[in-house]
Amino acid sequence: MSRQEKLLWLLAAGILILLFLMSSTDWIIKERKPEVYPISVIIDDSKDDYYQNFRKGMEQAAIEANADVRFITLYERNSSEQQIELLLREMDDDARAVILVPVDQKAVLKVLDGTRIMKPVIVADSGLGGTGIASSIGADEYEEGRKIAEGLCSHTGQNTPVYLFSEGLAYGDNSRIYDGVMSVLSEKGYAASLYEKKSGSSYREIIESAVYPGSAAAAIIALDTASLAETAGILEESDVYRRYIRGLYGPGFTIGLLNDLDRGVITGIGMTDEYNVGYLSVMKAVEAIETGGQRDSITLDSFYIERSQIRDPEYEMMLYPID
Amino acid sequence: MKNIFLKRGTAIILAGIMSATGIAGCSRQQETQKKSIRIGVGLYRGDDTFISTLRSALEEKAKEYERETGIKVTMDIVDAKENQSTQNNQVERFISLGCDCLCVNLVDRSAASNIIDKAINSSVPVVFFNREPVEEDMSRWENLYYVGEDAKESAILQGNIVVDAYKDNPQSVDYNGDGVVRYVLLEGESSHQDSLIRTEWSVKTIKKGGVPLEKITGGIANWDRSQASALMEQWLNQYPDQIELVICNNDDMALGAIDAIKRLKVHGIQLVGIDGTPVGKDAIREGSLLGSVEADMDDYAGAIFSIAAAKALGQPVDETLKLTDGKYYNAPQMPIIKEK
Repeated sequence: MSRQEKLLWLLAAGILILLFLMSSTDWIIKERKPEVYPISVIIDDSKDDYYQNFRKGMEQAAIEANADVRFITLYERNSSEQQIELLLREMDDDARAVILVPVDQKAVLKVLDGTRIMKPVIVADSGLGGTGIASSIGADEYEEGRKIAEGLCSHTGQNTPVYLFSEGLAYGDNSRIYDGVMSVLSEKGYAASLYEKKSGSSYREIIESAVYPGSAAAAIIALDTASLAETAGILEESDVYRRYIRGLYGPGFTIGLLNDLDRGVITGIGMTDEYNVGYLSVMKAVEAIETGGQRDSITLDSFYIERSQIRDPEYEMMLYPID
Repeated sequence: MKNIFLKRGTAIILAGIMSATGIAGCSRQQETQKKSIRIGVGLYRGDDTFISTLRSALEEKAKEYERETGIKVTMDIVDAKENQSTQNNQVERFISLGCDCLCVNLVDRSAASNIIDKAINSSVPVVFFNREPVEEDMSRWENLYYVGEDAKESAILQGNIVVDAYKDNPQSVDYNGDGVVRYVLLEGESSHQDSLIRTEWSVKTIKKGGVPLEKITGGIANWDRSQASALMEQWLNQYPDQIELVICNNDDMALGAIDAIKRLKVHGIQLVGIDGTPVGKDAIREGSLLGSVEADMDDYAGAIFSIAAAKALGQPVDETLKLTDGKYYNAPQMPIIKEK
């Protein structure tokens, strides 16, 4: 074998060894480890019953964007102090971004203004904007309120009194829904009375007081999902109540509420694509971590549906997203 | 020469003692420094009423613990939707996310080995609950635990509900008064350890209690309300005016049978369930369900959580709970019937 041949053989062997090292080890080409982004999600409730589709969207985005999402519920529902405490804890901890469904928007803004920890905060289910908020994703609650009230007006005459049930106008975006509802009811000359649970109103007592003494008909708009679920539960128990309550309307949906809509206990539901809210919140959080992200506010469409539309293909995907 | 050996020996012993105390000191420091724990919880089916009640109780326990101790608890809960391979992937993800302990409600109790392998390889303890892995699997590692209920006890308590009702007023169970109580059986999954035991001991207890039983038929409804409802409807059509008692392995199936009974407007059938779920209790209050057996959910969830928290913090479990064979815990149970 000539010297040249020997060299060629050696070169070939060298190339083979190099190829082996490149493909089988990370000595030459370092494999980039995907970065996992820890993100904390703090909702306004002590349970996630009203957040099923939101969670599905969030989980899908977490898989796609390599995020480690920690879902945190409050010890007590609608407790702003606890939410602020948890927000500060998570910002101080290893979370790279926090997604928040605010209980008290003013309190959140005040805290974010005063804090020195600069981590992106994404506000979901709310149009809240201000210093310290990277993005907000939610529906136009005012428009949703208007659509719900228009639904009521299409079924009920203006001489029927309308009861407005709310856990408290100060919570979340309830006041925006209230404004939307009232704008339509006032325009059309309906008499509406607001009952806030926060101020000690009991929905059952209000329904009973309407039904029994004078047996007068009334219609109800719940201004939040929890009030809608509670009122539906009360109406379901009694045929008498259902005879006098000419319609129950409200925002939000769960499988239970859709069943109530299907059974006719609820007349109409206002809703947003919660799957999308969850999905976009996580995507925006990852964007904010990676690039600092531009401050923006995403407003999603709101819809109003009745029993006949539950299985409408337009809404089916939104109501029953596939995992 | 002797001196040199002595010096060397002393030095080795001293070094040993120093390194041992150093290690112990470090681990103690690690324990005291741990300010947060992460627990991954895998459910076989999130929409099973009993499991979703247990899940809520577990979340409450985590919050209570967080408030009492100041140790942050991150609890990730996932639903396998009755798919063992999905659950295996979920467990893998929990481990890669750095969970300190896993709580697993197996989809298939005979397929725990995959999860156990992963747990052993990454030294993450596992608390199985509600669906007990087979004994060979449980004995593979000392950091495997099981929390559940004593199926025989549930069945005996269920049987006694029927016996008491019969003794109190025979016609309440023997509707047509012919001296024979004809019954049908709704059973859970055949692969679940509790199904067979619940069936066997419930029937045995009723017979032993002096109730003249005669079986019409039985079927597997997989703990599921709608499957039970379909079976019951079929039996009501097949055996009209014959069924007097429905013995169900759980409340959801009893509620399914009630759905069918209401649909066909049949009267005079008594039903008993097990689990004491909130919907089951509503049915007892309403009078459509004769009784059920309730596991102490607070204790059940408390046991799962306290084992998981102790293991996550590297603390001994025995200090917090009395375990059988160092790894099994059964939650206490009690019968529930309508208050008179």
